[in-house]
Amino acid sequence: MAIVTPGERLGLNGEFIASHGTVEIGDHIYAAVVGTVTTTPSESDGERLIIQVVPKSKRNMAASIPEVSSIVTGKVLRVNPRMATLSIMVVGETPCADNFQGVIRVQDVRATERDKVQIYNSFRPGDIVRAEVISLGDSRSYYLSTAKNELGVILATSPAGATMIPISWEEMVCPKTKVVENRKCAKPVDA
Amino acid sequence: MKSDVVSPEGFRCDGRRPNELRRFNCDMGTASGGYAGSGADGAAYVEQGNTRCLVLVFGPKEPSMRSAVLHDRATLSVEFNIASFSSGERKTKLRKDKRLLEMASIIKSTFESVILMSSFPRSEITIQIQILQFDGGSLHTAVNATTLALMNAGIPMEDYVVACSAGFGNGHPILDVNYTEEGMDVPVISLGITPRSGKVILLNLESRLHLDEFEKVVTLARDGCTQMHEILDTAVRSSAEALAR
Amino acid sequence: MLQSRSHVRKTRKGSVIKVVRELYLREDIGCGVGVCADAVCASGVRTMQALPANANKRHAMPHIIVPDTNMFLHQMDLLEHKAFSDVVVLQTALDEVRHRSTQMYARLRAITADVDKRFYVFSNEFMRDTFVKRVKDESPNDRNDRAIREACRWYAKHLPSGISVVLISDDADNRRKATADGMFAYSVREYVEGLTAFPELVDMIAVNDDADDAAAKKISYPDHLTPSQITAGLKSGAFCQGTLGISFHNFLEGSIYTKVDGEDTSVKIIGRTHLNRGVHGDVVAVRILPKSEWLRQGDNVVLDAEEDDETLEKVDPNSLLDASAAAVPVPEQDDEMQTEETEQRAAKSGDWVRTGCIVGIIQRKWRPFCGTIEAPKDVSSDSGSSSQQKFVFFWPMDKRIPKIKIRTRQAKQLAGQRIMVAIDSWGKQSLYPMGHFVKALGNVGDRKTETDVILLEHDVRFMPFSKQVMSYLPDEGEAWVVKEEHLAGRMDFRHLDVCSIDPPGCTDIDDALHARLLPNGNYEVGVHIADVSHFVKPGNAMDQEAATRGTTVYLVDRRIDMLPSLLGTNLCSLRSNVERLSFSCIWEVTPDADIIDVKYSKSVIRSRASLTYDAAQARLDDPTLTDPVSTGIKLLNSIAKKLRAKRMANGALVLASPEVRFSLDNDAQDPLDVELKEMKDTNALVEEFMLLANIYVAKKIYSVFPDSSMLRRHPKPSATNFESLIKAAAEYGIEIDPSNNRTLSDSLDKAVLADEPYFNKLIRIMTTRCMMQAVYFCSGTLAPEDFWHYGLATDIYTHFTSPIRRYADLVVHRLLAACIGYDKTYSSDLVDKVKASELSDVLNFRHRNAQQASRSSVELFTNLFFKNKVIQEEGFVIRVMKNGFSVIIPRFGIEGIVHSQAAGPKGSTDNAQLLTHDAVANTLTCPTTGAQIRIFGKVIVRVSVEEAGQEAAQRSKLVVKLIEPRVPGLSVDPVEVQKVKVDVVPAVVDIPGVGKVKTNVGETNRVTAEMGVVSGDAVETKAGSTGGKGAGKKKGGKK
Repeated sequence: MAIVTPGERLGLNGEFIASHGTVEIGDHIYAAVVGTVTTTPSESDGERLIIQVVPKSKRNMAASIPEVSSIVTGKVLRVNPRMATLSIMVVGETPCADNFQGVIRVQDVRATERDKVQIYNSFRPGDIVRAEVISLGDSRSYYLSTAKNELGVILATSPAGATMIPISWEEMVCPKTKVVENRKCAKPVDA
Repeated sequence: MKSDVVSPEGFRCDGRRPNELRRFNCDMGTASGGYAGSGADGAAYVEQGNTRCLVLVFGPKEPSMRSAVLHDRATLSVEFNIASFSSGERKTKLRKDKRLLEMASIIKSTFESVILMSSFPRSEITIQIQILQFDGGSLHTAVNATTLALMNAGIPMEDYVVACSAGFGNGHPILDVNYTEEGMDVPVISLGITPRSGKVILLNLESRLHLDEFEKVVTLARDGCTQMHEILDTAVRSSAEALAR
Repeated sequence: MLQSRSHVRKTRKGSVIKVVRELYLREDIGCGVGVCADAVCASGVRTMQALPANANKRHAMPHIIVPDTNMFLHQMDLLEHKAFSDVVVLQTALDEVRHRSTQMYARLRAITADVDKRFYVFSNEFMRDTFVKRVKDESPNDRNDRAIREACRWYAKHLPSGISVVLISDDADNRRKATADGMFAYSVREYVEGLTAFPELVDMIAVNDDADDAAAKKISYPDHLTPSQITAGLKSGAFCQGTLGISFHNFLEGSIYTKVDGEDTSVKIIGRTHLNRGVHGDVVAVRILPKSEWLRQGDNVVLDAEEDDETLEKVDPNSLLDASAAAVPVPEQDDEMQTEETEQRAAKSGDWVRTGCIVGIIQRKWRPFCGTIEAPKDVSSDSGSSSQQKFVFFWPMDKRIPKIKIRTRQAKQLAGQRIMVAIDSWGKQSLYPMGHFVKALGNVGDRKTETDVILLEHDVRFMPFSKQVMSYLPDEGEAWVVKEEHLAGRMDFRHLDVCSIDPPGCTDIDDALHARLLPNGNYEVGVHIADVSHFVKPGNAMDQEAATRGTTVYLVDRRIDMLPSLLGTNLCSLRSNVERLSFSCIWEVTPDADIIDVKYSKSVIRSRASLTYDAAQARLDDPTLTDPVSTGIKLLNSIAKKLRAKRMANGALVLASPEVRFSLDNDAQDPLDVELKEMKDTNALVEEFMLLANIYVAKKIYSVFPDSSMLRRHPKPSATNFESLIKAAAEYGIEIDPSNNRTLSDSLDKAVLADEPYFNKLIRIMTTRCMMQAVYFCSGTLAPEDFWHYGLATDIYTHFTSPIRRYADLVVHRLLAACIGYDKTYSSDLVDKVKASELSDVLNFRHRNAQQASRSSVELFTNLFFKNKVIQEEGFVIRVMKNGFSVIIPRFGIEGIVHSQAAGPKGSTDNAQLLTHDAVANTLTCPTTGAQIRIFGKVIVRVSVEEAGQEAAQRSKLVVKLIEPRVPGLSVDPVEVQKVKVDVVPAVVDIPGVGKVKTNVGETNRVTAEMGVVSGDAVETKAGSTGGKGAGKKKGGKK
């Protein structure tokens, strides 16, 4: 497979649809990254082929940015009475290249009794949480929500150092010390 | 007595003729695995004569400064550094040195027009340039190295940006001006073009050059860029093939 | 392939840097030999041919020559001789020459540019096959020698068989190694002796060792210190550095100006041992002697048979305490009078004068010297060598340079000739320096030879312009005319009634004027200057040659032009009735001569008339003439008068010098007569407007280029300069007030003696001598207060109005063109402060030399004129010294010295004083008759010319002897008045190469304006001369 370099002309606008790794300038489509060219038939447009340049690096750029309604996993950085701040590490199944910031506001922690939520009884710093992106948010962070059964804390560490086990949707227990702590737990997914 | 930039026999002080480039060598990030460890997404190392430049590219990633985020395109931040051991005398340059900030801003505006910024809204691409050894022509070496590093990082660009410098001494236009020649009051033009379209993206002149000679010097720089492009292209392809294996 | 060269060096701050450079070695350098068939060589430059087999008896095969570095450094005269051609100049040698001697490098480059010499520069340092890398512990010199041998070896292998390579080197070790390698090597002498076709070459070999000088073994100078020792000593303050200046009167006495303990002072160096082989002009390192050794009594400098008749005072240390006529020292001791006064002032400040001794030479400033040889005596024992060369002594004309020993075969032929000799070395065993013969100039006393000598001694470039320079003239040559395309960017002033006023016979007209009435009642006045910058573009060969010449030099019978005459006398010259390009300043002026507006522009003019001063004066005086030109002249005159009045009110000085003109015989160009000149209204008219233009242009260029403008200033003289003058004038009841130029100017105006009309002029002449030199400078190097021009009383001044004959004006033209936006792409040299400052130093140097050359030429002609005559004339005393007095003779404008000591036997110090000197009253009185000589006193003298003895390098001198007042033993008898017929001067004189010139009594001669009387830039006159003869305009003020 021939390697193409940025600026190399790949074809005419009329014959191809520009996709990842390519750029359309005027009537022509040019490569935008270093990689190999692949063409696939398009479902929507019968005449034209989708042309993309696949870079050699492993990283797949497109999937690693949080979108609205994508499920993300992250670690709680800090909590305050109004919200919990997360560092988003995984989007869907793929890890992010860089950690994004997400925020779970107090009214988005659960679906019921939203006004009576105590953040400290839902999340603690260091917990791993699965959440859903509800908004791209402001300049600082994405807005997340755990207001579903399968969203919430999936992993937490007790003060004694052991991994806590969820016993209900709002409690977890440390296997070592048998101490019970409050968390908003995610319903374990049957593998 | 001041020596001639170009001797009457047609040679420069290092034995080159006026239209010859210095020896060129480059290396793209993958072969030297060390760069990956620093978290860089792309890296390139370029040697032109005795000028050596290392460029690291980070991104696209979360912007470090939330205030600088653009909603529809990526932001480019460039840092330019000259190592304190790079020239004959040890000199530590502050980060905020005006000269360095100016070089950085030149490179930034050069690449902003070539990188497809709208592919990555709200994210940031950081380019860190280090001059490890300085023998003249740091601007154009940095531009070439940055091009390679960006390609290594897989960041989409419209085209290469190749740059070369040319000057004028003793009635001759000279290509690829080195440090000694820069010291001989030679006006130096740094020219950066996108080879396939031939458009000029970077044109930098900091001293005075007579209008009559301007065209000759720019044409020579252009030729130099074309030569550079061939070399860079070969290097990029061979490194990509090495990756494939 | 790529090599890396690195070396370590120290910066000025003292830190150490490692410098690494790349070196790309190539294979595409050709050998330069025409017959070589190699592909690479064939495509490159090929100039050399093999010298035929019979060229050199020593090496009877076809060959090419490879000299080593030392041959280039020392034997350049040989290489410039036509016998040497087909020479390989190796890059190694070329680089070394460049580092060691800029002069030699320039000469070498000139030879390589000469096609006929066929010198080929081979870049062996860049050639892979001949590259030599320094091995450990190898000295740079050894490495260079090895590189040279390696290149020879390459050549030997490379050249077609039949052509051999000859290495010439005076280093025996080098030769030995070369021969061991199978190469041919000869010493300089060996090779030159083989060139039997050119026997004179053997004389020209520069000698480096004086081992065969048996006679002087008993002398041994102290060693010179090495450069590093000198630098260390300078840094630590043990030594000081300065340029050695030798006194005119005594070549065993020298001094330097340097900083001692932070203050500028002079240090005396007296005696052979202390001078330690320093030559006038060298930059030397001096150790100050301990105080106990200052002004040693015993250090009476014995001049052993080299006594100079002109000595006014025997310079023994005690005389330094004589407190007469002190003046502020001028750093270059180029004026005889001032040198002496310098010593006196130095003494005046305290009783002790710092004395020192030279410990090392930092830079030699040797140049070829003109002079004559001593008749061969048995000075040296060497007469047995096969070449029959003898050692003889050479006496340079410049009294400050010591005798030089040379070897020559032509001693007999050279006896009565002026020759040029260059110094090669001065070993510590040798009493005198060793040198070699360069060339013969002609017979002593022959006018042409003596004129050549004057030019050479003053470093004036007078060779005809090279082909390269001439190639930059416009192609149309004489047929060049102003065309439509020239009008772009220029004002069209062809309709203006422009005229020019110049001396008769003037061909290089650089300025023209016009004036007319404006509708609003004001006047429009215009000064139009020849637009030389249109023809001479910066940087080309013609420009560089002009910059090196600096100015046109005017001798009495010759003119050495700065620019080729096609430009100077034709295309640039603002001749009448032809369109010419010019640079104009137009002022709008009120009837009271107040300037309202000024405009500068490039223009095209058509002069209506080129008038002489007299013709213009005639038009001025004739009320019936109403044509535009005459009206214009009258207008100009009235405005000029008012401008002048304003200037005088401001304190501008009107100085004077006794100006004379020589009228020359048609054929022989020998002087027929000598006359004074006067200044007319028209002279003053032109002068006023030139000054105005210069001042306004100065302001304009300074406003746009504050850092790099070429300006001219005249420093204020210090009060001490005037002391003796004030004292002398006081004797006559005249008060001179030098506190500022207005008071000085006023007091000069009042200095009149009812019964002596010449008195005022005399006072002005004396005042002129108290002045400092006016100099060019770069505006960025001084504070604005220092721009002051004392003589003209203006804040800022420059030279703009004579670009044909002065390079500074050309620079100002370029600056002004950039100011008005005419020349948008001006050369970057115009804003380079450093280059401008260096250029102004060069121009000042050239200007001074040109003036001195003029003076010497006038002196020469004076002596020629008086050669077989004895004249009796009236004169005025202008200086009184211990053993004589100076007299100025107004009729001829010459000056001479009358000695008051009876000429006793040579060498004796016991001369009877015929007049007693009163140092306080500054008079000389005869003890018997009571007759007194004092400044401004009138005397009658007899003037004649005497051939001086050989020791004074055979220069003839003017001898002045006293007639009245009568002093027994000193005065001579009156002469039968051999009246010089003034009316013998023919009305029309044909000067070869110039044309017919009308001679007029009363016109001025620019040249003679500076005849030995004026110090520095006292009088500036306009170029008018046609080969020096004819008249020049005088501007009375100091410029």
